[in-house]
Amino acid sequence: MSLNDRLRGVFVDALQLDDSVDVENLKYRDIDEWDSVGHMALVAAIEDEFDVQFETEQVIDMSSFKVAVDMLKGLGAGE
Amino acid sequence: MTLLHAQARLRDAATGELLGGAELAGRVSEAAKELADLPSGVLFLRVGLDLTSVLRYLGAFEAGRAVALLDPAQDREVLDGLVARFRPAAVLGIEDEPAPGYTRDWVREDADGVAPHPDLAVMLPTSGSTGNPKFVRLSRSAILANADAIAEVLGITSDEVAPTTLPLHYSYGMSVLNSHLRQGATVLLEGSGVVARPFWDAVTQYGVTSLAGVPYHYEMLRRLRFDPAKYPTLRTLTQAGGKLRSDLVSEFNDKMRAVGGQMFVMYGQTEAAPRMATVPSDRLAEKVGSAGPALPGGTFAIRDEAGNEIAEAGVAGEVVYRGPNVMMGYAESEAELALGDETGGVLVTGDLGYLDSDGFLYITGRLKRIGKVFGNRVNLDDLEQIVKGFGAAAAVPAGDKVVVFLDRAEKDTCKQAAKLLSETLHLHVTGFDVRPAEGFPQLPSGKIDYRSLEAQV
Repeated sequence: MSLNDRLRGVFVDALQLDDSVDVENLKYRDIDEWDSVGHMALVAAIEDEFDVQFETEQVIDMSSFKVAVDMLKGLGAGE
Repeated sequence: MTLLHAQARLRDAATGELLGGAELAGRVSEAAKELADLPSGVLFLRVGLDLTSVLRYLGAFEAGRAVALLDPAQDREVLDGLVARFRPAAVLGIEDEPAPGYTRDWVREDADGVAPHPDLAVMLPTSGSTGNPKFVRLSRSAILANADAIAEVLGITSDEVAPTTLPLHYSYGMSVLNSHLRQGATVLLEGSGVVARPFWDAVTQYGVTSLAGVPYHYEMLRRLRFDPAKYPTLRTLTQAGGKLRSDLVSEFNDKMRAVGGQMFVMYGQTEAAPRMATVPSDRLAEKVGSAGPALPGGTFAIRDEAGNEIAEAGVAGEVVYRGPNVMMGYAESEAELALGDETGGVLVTGDLGYLDSDGFLYITGRLKRIGKVFGNRVNLDDLEQIVKGFGAAAAVPAGDKVVVFLDRAEKDTCKQAAKLLSETLHLHVTGFDVRPAEGFPQLPSGKIDYRSLEAQV
């Protein structure tokens, strides 16, 4: 499975998203589910799935699905 | 008597705009004037973390018009139910198709309506809103008395800069706004929250001096490895909205003291406008777990089951608060807007607790079946009703969340139930931990043994 597919799965699970949500273009606070509470659940779920540990700066900069993809690539995750 | 001190300022973090002095006063009177021609009745204000919302709130307050503060993300169905029950003069902050009987601008077509009691200033929804919330009626004098008492115990001066970390329809969020504006301080309107970059940029750029949070904020700050040394202006933390676990109280208290700052743990209810107690910062270390002594002007008493006050320290019973900030009462319909004070300044909190020999309150539990989800009160029996379509349910409190046991449910059913709770109550889905159960433990009476369920979580 590609990194994008795995990450999409994590978003859907952690934020309990409907099929109708365009996950890959999602940004923080675009939808009710991705609020500050959802953000923390999401960060924890991504760390579990990819076995990584984000720095504080990364947690607060993770403002979209695309940014999360780039961060994971930067950490060499999902390869 | 007004909420707005001459030096009070509002800063919009989104645009950087700063409003103060005569300019702010002018904008507030403009907002007040726009309300003058509206028909009789309460105003509904869908209040966001933006300048327009806050100016409307202040305009209503200054114009002496009772205003109910509502969640802007509230479901249309719930709003329509409230509009039908309370027949507000107008609904502000909405662009949807109007409800029946309202003009395109959401002004009530019928000029006749119940005039709210002249003392009534603000109404806030109680949580536990199963689509049928009631309002807490707060008088002008209760709002002002509480704002002043809070400012006194926290030492708020005109030098403070407080960001909006909480929604304004939530009593704690409203009180942060009120207590700072009353002292001529600056309130920074910021909507992205403590987990996002723009918030921390604004903290630095605008010299934020304090943060207000409910327990989940402190869980987030811990996860973010919050370090006050990085934010030299930020020297005060306040916490309310449920009991914060003792190790976090100590951790944040230590962090703040290490940089010459302070941490305040507080206790309140929307029914008290909302603050009732605050632990003085310099006594927090020796009083971890306490909600603090009553605010200036208020007192606590503890009642036994027969309703008699317990004079002895250390003996638990129901917490009763008396003070100038206690609500006038509740309102469930338009007719009740006209009611005067029904409480006489006495609030029977429904919380169980005791006072120590220094008069510090310790909360030990709840009399009623109430839980907290991210600082919001929810009625546990209501939760069971909401998910009954999925099967028999038993809900118990679990810190900042609730656990709902669902009899013989599949994992997928549990997920759907959590989602339904989240949508109905407008609280994040992760606050509802729905678990499958094989029947429920029972008391000899045949009722569910909630205590033993609670022990399982």
